[in-house]
Amino acid sequence: MSEIRLPASGLAEEVLTLCKEKQRDIHLVTFNLGEEYGVPIHQVQEIIRVSGVTMVPNSPSYMEGVINLRGRVLPVLNLRKRLKLPPKDAGKSSRIVVAEVGEKVIGLLVDAVSHVIRVAPESVESAPEEVLEVDTDYITGVGKLKNRLIILLDLERLLKRENIEVGDITAEGGNHGEEN
Amino acid sequence: MEYSELIRDFLDDAETQLGFFESALLSIEKNGYLEEVIQSTLGPLHTLKGNSGMMGLESLKDYVHHVEEILKKVLEDEVDFGTVIDVLFDTVSVIRQVLHTLGRDPASRPDLTEHVMVIQERLRGTVGVHTRRDVDLTSYLGTKTDTIKVDFRRFDDLLNLVGELVIYKTRLNQIGTQIRGEVGNKSLFKELSGGLEFMGKTIAGLQEGIMRARMLPVLHVFSKFPRMVRDLSRLQEKEIELAFEGEDTELDKTVIDELEEPLLHIIRNAVDHGIEDMQERARKEKDHRGVITLSAGQESNYVIIRVSDDGRGIDAESVREAAVGRGLLKPDEVYDKETVFSLIFSAGLSTKKEATDLSGRGIGVDVVARKIAKLNGQIAVDSVPGKGTTFTIKLPLSLAIISALMVETGGEVYAIPMSAVDESIKVREEDIHMINNHEVIESREQVLPVVRLAEFFNIGGRKHGKCYLIVLSRAGRRLALAVDRLRGQQEIVIKPLDETFGKSYGIAGASILGDGRIVLIADVTAFWNQPTVRSEE
Repeated sequence: MSEIRLPASGLAEEVLTLCKEKQRDIHLVTFNLGEEYGVPIHQVQEIIRVSGVTMVPNSPSYMEGVINLRGRVLPVLNLRKRLKLPPKDAGKSSRIVVAEVGEKVIGLLVDAVSHVIRVAPESVESAPEEVLEVDTDYITGVGKLKNRLIILLDLERLLKRENIEVGDITAEGGNHGEEN
Repeated sequence: MEYSELIRDFLDDAETQLGFFESALLSIEKNGYLEEVIQSTLGPLHTLKGNSGMMGLESLKDYVHHVEEILKKVLEDEVDFGTVIDVLFDTVSVIRQVLHTLGRDPASRPDLTEHVMVIQERLRGTVGVHTRRDVDLTSYLGTKTDTIKVDFRRFDDLLNLVGELVIYKTRLNQIGTQIRGEVGNKSLFKELSGGLEFMGKTIAGLQEGIMRARMLPVLHVFSKFPRMVRDLSRLQEKEIELAFEGEDTELDKTVIDELEEPLLHIIRNAVDHGIEDMQERARKEKDHRGVITLSAGQESNYVIIRVSDDGRGIDAESVREAAVGRGLLKPDEVYDKETVFSLIFSAGLSTKKEATDLSGRGIGVDVVARKIAKLNGQIAVDSVPGKGTTFTIKLPLSLAIISALMVETGGEVYAIPMSAVDESIKVREEDIHMINNHEVIESREQVLPVVRLAEFFNIGGRKHGKCYLIVLSRAGRRLALAVDRLRGQQEIVIKPLDETFGKSYGIAGASILGDGRIVLIADVTAFWNQPTVRSEE
């Protein structure tokens, strides 16, 4: 996988322990939404530029629209709106992170994609309770990296919650979602 | 179907059934006797016997019957399984030989009398151990067939790939135009566009081939009903024959699957309420046996499916009265038969007035209409009192590709399935009137409610002074959909929308255009649920 520097000793067992440590590390794709957020790299299929998003009427406000990814119609989630962050128009650095969540493939609209980084499990802490609200269980923890903090997202939980909210919307008669 | 096709199907099935029997025997030999395993082989063997009889292979049928007899004896503990297992294995070989012979020469009629006698002798024990002559190695091989079983989803994947090909081809076309403009090499451009044209034809052929592979004869769904009709009619002491016509007409598998439920309701209604009981039929001097006919046929890009019965029919007058009672029709106006009958499909009428005024025709018929509309099809009913009723269902050949009218409103393009479109008219804003706060338009001496697509989809958009109205009809009720512009008619491939974020009201799916853009397909049934439209009833 990633670059593994051989230990100076070159001893087999030391190489192996090093490899094991590397394997335990969490690989994250991080992106910017004012703060830095991260999702596990194995969930990320690709990262694409924002173009040709078709708006879907009568859908929740955090649904940015649908895109054509090589013949597949993918829904795109506006992550800022979903996380209830202050809105910001898509700009040059905006990207769509195409992620596999369970059996589904969805797009996540983000301000910019920063890095692919490796975090040791020890440096991930659960988020302080004071900042968590009732419906923020999709934040699984905070990764500390030198002088940066990375908020770790659980996409499956993020989507599950969607379904509940959407259920409410349809129960109202469904017709008028929110303006897009 | 041709005989050669039938025999091919028969051989395919027989090979599967025989294979099942053989694996069951092997499993018992390996894991010991289990009653369930023997039980499980009876079904396939019985089918094999029945099919052989149907193909006129009497001798084979007889032979399989003897095999069944052995198994029954085993199940009733008359015979110990251990003593007959070799006999049973040999029967597999014998049957397989017969299938081989039939595969080589479909017209042959193998005679198995001798083999039947061998079984009987061996059971009686007169021949202690079967004197195994040379083992014929070919009897271990299956019959070669021309068919394979494929997971249906694989076709979807293939179709998606073809969709991508179309998109890339369009891109190449654009590049070709650029070459002509910027490079200015005419002959190169000509060669490129010639190549692209061939590629386009190949892609179209590929697409059609895949679509064709997804088709199944409509018999697949028809064949589910004879048993139901038999049981229902016995229960009601009626005698009913279910006849098929055009059952080899082919339809996309997705449509076939969805067709089952609507047909079930219609046929059930025909049995329950259409066909009279024997005494009534006798009084009316009708044949004591009622007939329900299921027919299918193709007309251009559509398949027409009819369910007719020769029962008591529907009285248009009582439907009219019921409809007037529900406020669906005006009491003092004259309506043609078609309009009146189409009201059977409206939910209000059917649920309230079932079984009495409409001779029970209402039950589930609104469900049927909804289901057919979902398949982008149409349904109509015609009836002559005393003579019978005919339901006619018109369906697109495939659910995956439909013909759609592309419309523009508020700067966005949407696709409206042509199956719902009656006509389109260009009007001035002044022609749209307000009645009781609702917009209406007068068209062909009918006042139609107007639904503005931009408002329906909350996509803002101004009134321009002129607009286009698309008259849509569903189950006899019409409305006008206002849009800014028409962009022509087009065949589009439907792709379902992911419902992770919920189902978007009024959107039936999406399609990708040649230039890679996505258009959303409107779910026309949603327009009728608009409060402005509802109040018109």
